[in-house]
Amino acid sequence: MIRDITIGQYYAANSLIHRLDARLKVVAVMIYIISLFCIGSVATYGVAIAALAAVVVASKVPLRFMLRGIQSIFVIIVLTGIINVFTNKTGTPLWGQDWYLITTGGLSMAGMIILRLIMLIIASSLLTLTTTPIQLTDGIEYLLKPFGKIGVPYHEIAMMMTIALRFIPTLLDETDKIMKAQQARGADFETGNLVHRAKALVPILVPLFISAFRRAEELATAMEARCYRGGEHRTKLNRMAFGAIDYRAMAVCVAFLVVEVVLSVLL
Amino acid sequence: MSEMIRAEHLTYEYVRTVEEEKGSRSETVLALNDVTLTIPKGAFVAVLGHNGSGKSTFAKEINALLKPTKGVLWVDGMDTSDDELLWEIRQSAGMVFQNPDNQIVATVVEEDVAFGPENLGVEPEEIRRRVDQALETVGMTAFRKDTPSKLSGGQKQRIAIAGVLAMEPECIVLDEPTAMLDPMGRKDVIETIHRLNKEKGITIVLITHYMEETVDADWMVIIDDGKVAMEGTPREVFSQVEKVKGFGLDVPQATELAYRLRQMGLAVPKDILTTEEMVGALCQLQSTM
Amino acid sequence: MSITINHVTHIYNPGTAMAKTALDDVSMEFHDGEFIGLIGHTGSGKSTLIQHLNALLKPTSGEILLNGENIHQDKKRLKEIRQRVGLVFQYPEHQLFEMTVYQDVAYGPTNLGLSEEEIDRRVREVLEVVGMGEETYEKSPFELSGGQKRRVAIAGILAMQPEVLVLDEPTAGLDPKGRDEILDAVQEMHRRLGLLVVLVSHSMEDVARLADRIFVMHQGKVAFSGTPKEVFSHAKELEQIGLAAPQVSYILEGLRQKGFSLPKDIYTIEEAAKAISDCLQGTKK
Repeated sequence: MIRDITIGQYYAANSLIHRLDARLKVVAVMIYIISLFCIGSVATYGVAIAALAAVVVASKVPLRFMLRGIQSIFVIIVLTGIINVFTNKTGTPLWGQDWYLITTGGLSMAGMIILRLIMLIIASSLLTLTTTPIQLTDGIEYLLKPFGKIGVPYHEIAMMMTIALRFIPTLLDETDKIMKAQQARGADFETGNLVHRAKALVPILVPLFISAFRRAEELATAMEARCYRGGEHRTKLNRMAFGAIDYRAMAVCVAFLVVEVVLSVLL
Repeated sequence: MSEMIRAEHLTYEYVRTVEEEKGSRSETVLALNDVTLTIPKGAFVAVLGHNGSGKSTFAKEINALLKPTKGVLWVDGMDTSDDELLWEIRQSAGMVFQNPDNQIVATVVEEDVAFGPENLGVEPEEIRRRVDQALETVGMTAFRKDTPSKLSGGQKQRIAIAGVLAMEPECIVLDEPTAMLDPMGRKDVIETIHRLNKEKGITIVLITHYMEETVDADWMVIIDDGKVAMEGTPREVFSQVEKVKGFGLDVPQATELAYRLRQMGLAVPKDILTTEEMVGALCQLQSTM
Repeated sequence: MSITINHVTHIYNPGTAMAKTALDDVSMEFHDGEFIGLIGHTGSGKSTLIQHLNALLKPTSGEILLNGENIHQDKKRLKEIRQRVGLVFQYPEHQLFEMTVYQDVAYGPTNLGLSEEEIDRRVREVLEVVGMGEETYEKSPFELSGGQKRRVAIAGILAMQPEVLVLDEPTAGLDPKGRDEILDAVQEMHRRLGLLVVLVSHSMEDVARLADRIFVMHQGKVAFSGTPKEVFSHAKELEQIGLAAPQVSYILEGLRQKGFSLPKDIYTIEEAAKAISDCLQGTKK
């Protein structure tokens, strides 16, 4: 069902990872993802996997929550793998010829890409699973602040993210309801050719957009009534504080980077 | 008692385009038409009217979301057409809207309650104190770390009330806060605002079309066609059953029963509101027969 | 058309930490042409139940029979079942999407692949039943008042010519006038089209006035069922689960305790006024 889609879902738990400063987590995940695309050897991958596994365990989030993220883009992962198998012709040929020639190079490349994607998804879902959306947007707002000088509307970006996250469940529920309502009027979303199916979406999209606009207008009024007037003069309930635990975590991140760089240079 | 809200000849008109076969034309709509009205500090006032009567426009005027096109409206002595006073007016007269989903901004309950004071630039320690207190007042402390989308309609509406409370207003205007709630949620919300009125002395302006929510109000105003059609204590207003019904509104079942019995020739008093009063009146009547 | 709900249980997210039993061994029977009232709180399971009636949800266990036939027997017939059991959701006006009232009501019949004449005949008929005049046909549904929008949305379901009409809180958010208009239209459908109507409501007063039989749901189970008289005689128990009988039945209860001899099965104002008047006139003689 459409309601099962989870985006940016937060998993409430009291773990070391949950307590870390959001800014640190955002930067760490970014560095980790970049590093995934720079490393290549078995040893460096081993370290990256071990590091990720350690963080997953420390986060106290059940693994299946992270796997759910993989499930939703499973097709994309498999497709990427297949494309790589057939486009990379290095190494020893194993089977087939011409365009469908499969080689050891192709297979290992595909395996690596799939592994990378899975690690990337786990790392980024760890960020959203252990950080409340509010902390996340606060963190991003803070990290974007330096770009304010060159005209980046950092406060507005953060506010938009907050509102989007707040309304995703509401709009998903609504979509589900509208779909059912139109089904009760004989709408058919499952059969027919592409044109037919695209046309069948109109009775869902029109009411959905109307409702989204109505909500947006009402929300804007409600925000104004609560004295919202942009980012200026605004204070925050929770001040972000970089504690001892964050400095220690930062040290661990640096150590991870050093190990990866050293291993890459040595091997 | 000093005045919380004073409207003098308050009028709001806007231009609306009407689609017709021959094209569109514009017409002027008088959403509020020469409303003169005073609400004293600390009062619980119910504003009743059917949909489109102008009652929601009145609510938005109090919050300076709309400005009078004619006449004047003072909120705690501040003229709402003065732009300089806009934020002060909105702080002193907070507003709660009909749809609980469309007024909650944040994804965590306490962050949402903090939204108002954050906008006012209140210091973090003070915000924390206000948020805790506001949640306590509406009885939602246990949910402070929850996601609003998981709460029931009545709970969401109490969060919205807490969000306004955290701005420390003198007056709260509620625009049909219970229209989308089930009976339990409705009861919760109404009890909460009565408590705010009694314990904290906050002036309440409750805009509604449910007559049962107005029975306990100090004062009642019926708005029809942008005008004040009736005004008085609920007892005075409801005793005129036919007039109230003429505005497309209901009266309490006890009042309606009394009205029917009177029509059948029984000498039942006009101004009955509750079950107990009805039973008492009939017992008295029986003893005189 | 008759509906039999046979020991239906529905569990959301079965086998996970979020598993929630919404319906717990519910059995009901609705007969042809009846007006059924379904009462319960948010979360009592009534919304889950009605989505079973037109096969939008499938029971975890148990079965739903339409005229004795299990609705999940043949997957290919789901579309037909959804046509025969018309379901009007809460705030049905949110499903409106066409440019004109006429086109919106025609959406359902068009999906059924009917001829243009048949579509036209149905659209006109159902718009008349819900009290929307011809002058509104070419209007945009979004220009209408709240109550009118809702009547158009209900007409959109009626145009499917269902044999059963299920309405989920059709009066939510409307003012007394809009509420009366909707309820009058529902009564008209029941009377004129001979439909089996299932009305889900919070309002005891409305259900008391309209329904032949009432089912009260609580925590996924049927707490009470029977005629309004039978159900409202459990005023105390209803209160315990946070529901209430109509105010007028409390007045009569109070009077009975004071020694008035009044019948027990009264729950509308008209009946109450008559009974009280008779009783007092009786004392006079």
